[in-house]
Amino acid sequence: MSKVLEFELIGHVTIGQYLPTGSILHRLDPRAKLLMGLLLIGAVVVSHSLVGLTALLLAVLVGLVLACVPVPFALAGLRPMLPFLMLLALLQVFTIPQHAATATVLWRWSILTMTDRGLLAGILLIGRFSVMVLGLSLFSFSTTTTEFTHGLEHLLRPWQRFGLPAHELALIVNIAIHFLPILAEETERLMKAQASRGADFGRGQRNFIKRARKLLPLLVPLFLVSLQRAEHLIEAMEARCYVGGKGRTHLIHLQMQLSDYVALATALGLAAFAIQLSITHADQVLWHWIFMNR
Amino acid sequence: MSTTTRKVVIAGVMGAISIFLGVTHLGFIPWLAGAALTIMHVPVIIGAVLEGPLVGLVIGLIFGAFSLLQAAIAPTGPADVWFTNPLVSIVPRLFIGPVAWLSYKALRAINEALSLVIAGIAGTLTNTVLVLGVLGLYHFLPWPLIGTIAITNGLPEAVIAAIITLAVVAAWKRIETGRKSSAV
Repeated sequence: MSKVLEFELIGHVTIGQYLPTGSILHRLDPRAKLLMGLLLIGAVVVSHSLVGLTALLLAVLVGLVLACVPVPFALAGLRPMLPFLMLLALLQVFTIPQHAATATVLWRWSILTMTDRGLLAGILLIGRFSVMVLGLSLFSFSTTTTEFTHGLEHLLRPWQRFGLPAHELALIVNIAIHFLPILAEETERLMKAQASRGADFGRGQRNFIKRARKLLPLLVPLFLVSLQRAEHLIEAMEARCYVGGKGRTHLIHLQMQLSDYVALATALGLAAFAIQLSITHADQVLWHWIFMNR
Repeated sequence: MSTTTRKVVIAGVMGAISIFLGVTHLGFIPWLAGAALTIMHVPVIIGAVLEGPLVGLVIGLIFGAFSLLQAAIAPTGPADVWFTNPLVSIVPRLFIGPVAWLSYKALRAINEALSLVIAGIAGTLTNTVLVLGVLGLYHFLPWPLIGTIAITNGLPEAVIAAIITLAVVAAWKRIETGRKSSAV
């Protein structure tokens, strides 16, 4: 059984998992959803505020409910990396600069020292990852890859004036997404072909030179097969008179509705709120207050 | 044959390979102290050599954006925390393609096989130096440690990238590499 699973690669390629529930979030303009996603990522990366992150987490959970996605199903995506996240958080707790003058020591045992700063950093790390993962899954649950590329193209279009090839960029992303399952299939075929000639792709292989040598007979044909596939695609596109984005008209015209503006404004407000809390150090104040008054 | 169609398709397909190597972990080779070697940047180099600096830039952008997403969604090591910052994960990767293309272009007239090897090495070292440089500027890592990582990770990565670039491009363009049989 394990021998069979060794060649299973398609299972890894599940980026765009779409759940067609037809909810209010599914019907939003993909441009609005893309912008909301960018705002979320920006706010999560920039904000160092626990209160702000909690607000973002709540917003994503509300989004999951609005999208009619079962919340336990979405949370299941977090489970496989929980042990790893915990380890990372522990690393953060004990390795954040201990010498900061303002840090309060909460707990000390031989060389391990836990300060309020370190603990905050650890909690923030888990919070940040959870918000990112849930937010991105929410986006993929409610947006098809076609909607995504349409939205991307429409968003980039204003920059066309400055020479940005919006249509081409969207097409590149589209091709990349649609090539993933093809690559998985081809690699499985190549792995089986090499294994039938005696190659062993054991994952536990620690010897670097051996691993690298095993990869070469797989990677080089993979590149060549992909280039061949690309060649076929080019020919097919040209046979259908594809000439690029210039003068191209679209079957689908995106129209921003009132609901899209409302959603976008809400996301903007939340992101601004989270960043604002981070700038004013709102929860450091809160945190210190809690631990000073114990 | 229109050049844009070719550029668009090659950029898309090479971007897909880079993502695929990351998703399936085929692109990571376990190495000393858990710091895996990566070959996810090789599609960027190959795309740049085949179709020019712009295509290399776009594939680099896809590679960078994906490594940001992967660091956020499915971290593989403690270092991934840093890669959720676009300045670490995206910006340095934009330069891989153009540098690889420049070195290929400059040396091509002398010896095509050699220019491919150099392109592979130059592209990889661009990645190593810029990513580690940004990490150093952010004080995530002390400079002496960065130097060590650059040597222990950067050099083997450069060797692997050079071998793959040479094998793939030589086979694709049917360049003589001195072997009697096919280049693969």
